[in-house]
Amino acid sequence: MRKHRPRVGLLYNPTTPQLLDYAPSLVEHLSVMPDRLWFDFGTEPMRGRRFHRLHEAIDRVKRDTVGRMLAGHGLGLSLPSAMPLDDAMVAAVADVSRDLGNFAWYSEHLNLFITPKGGVPNAQAGLGLPVIYDEETFSIMAPKLRRLRDALSCRLLLENGSFFTPVPDLDLTEPEFLNRLHRQGLSGVLLDLHNLLVNARNGGADPIAYLESLDLDAVEEVHIAGGDDAEGFYMDSHSTLTPDYVWELAHAYLPRCRNLRAITFEYQESYFEELGLPALAAELERMHRLADVCELVPEPVDAR
Amino acid sequence: MLADFQQALADLTSLPEWCLAVRADASVLHSRYTLTEREARRLHTIACDAGMSCACTVYRMNRLAPLAMNVRLTLRALGPTAKHVLSDYWRDHPRGHAHFFLESDRFCKWLRERLDVGEQMSSEVRSLLDRESSAIRAAVRASCTESD
Repeated sequence: MRKHRPRVGLLYNPTTPQLLDYAPSLVEHLSVMPDRLWFDFGTEPMRGRRFHRLHEAIDRVKRDTVGRMLAGHGLGLSLPSAMPLDDAMVAAVADVSRDLGNFAWYSEHLNLFITPKGGVPNAQAGLGLPVIYDEETFSIMAPKLRRLRDALSCRLLLENGSFFTPVPDLDLTEPEFLNRLHRQGLSGVLLDLHNLLVNARNGGADPIAYLESLDLDAVEEVHIAGGDDAEGFYMDSHSTLTPDYVWELAHAYLPRCRNLRAITFEYQESYFEELGLPALAAELERMHRLADVCELVPEPVDAR
Repeated sequence: MLADFQQALADLTSLPEWCLAVRADASVLHSRYTLTEREARRLHTIACDAGMSCACTVYRMNRLAPLAMNVRLTLRALGPTAKHVLSDYWRDHPRGHAHFFLESDRFCKWLRERLDVGEQMSSEVRSLLDRESSAIRAAVRASCTESD
């Protein structure tokens, strides 16, 4: 046994600096989305460049990450898409990582955001679509993950998504697919516990069955968040504090995640005023109590 | 083939009428895409899933976000017709642009073309579209932060 306490942190958004001013010591880790730190001109490059960085925002993030652990969290690479890796975007992610002092790790969503016949490199599908877990998708993702890891020189994690329409008749379950990626040294897991609740509420997999079949040694970061009901469905809107069921899952399973490095709270900035600084600080304090529970764990297995 | 399956999945989400057509008759999928029977069955099951209506709604909310931010006054002036105008725009441009100002600029140009070919809209729509288009073009220029 050794001390291995996961850091507590936030997914960075434009209101994060206010929360950092209010409760600086409660935030030990920041997860930053490179996609929010540039303008992507797609097939219409300006001044010869597709990506134009938001230099002031990058400088602000850089100041806010002093003394904190920093990870990158991306949306745009859409790794399961049956199309080539967007090398220009990979280079842009690497540029932002370098600007900020290098990501400790980088995560992407295990969703489809870009479609093969979308027309332009950054044509968005409009929402994260579900993925077919089979040999073909694995063979598409594996080389992309290797190239991405080489370009960023850091660990890669993949985040389980939330869906309204599960894909039927799959060869592998999502945990089996993630376990295989982990076994082959291609990626670890960013486990979004709220997404498990979203999927369960909308007719998807049972969270307990999911967690029991996931290799918990693959989990290196955990996302928690809250959502709300709309049109008879439960949405991953990041509009509320973390619901009780997600806390129950966290306390039951996170102490078993021997390689867990960070617990990250996600909230959408448009709900910042509604949530309020005292409630957000209380959420961070609750996360610290959770991190304390995770502190004494067996020696982590080798991080590949 | 997987590429066609993925494209079909995105199209089901972005085109509710197409989703309803697939629900009614799965064989129409083969007229647009090259699919295995298993892929076609999966798509038909997804099209019939109750969650599809929610996926379609979230798609429209996400597509609306840049326009609600940048073309708010024009959309308001369109009144009840805004819903149909937006549906037509998303049918013509089913994939969004990640750059919100370019997405908004594309919508403004598309709406301007409709006005230029004589579609009846109020003079208020025209003047607000001019004003907001101009602001968006300035924002596009300002978003060029890197030098040559």
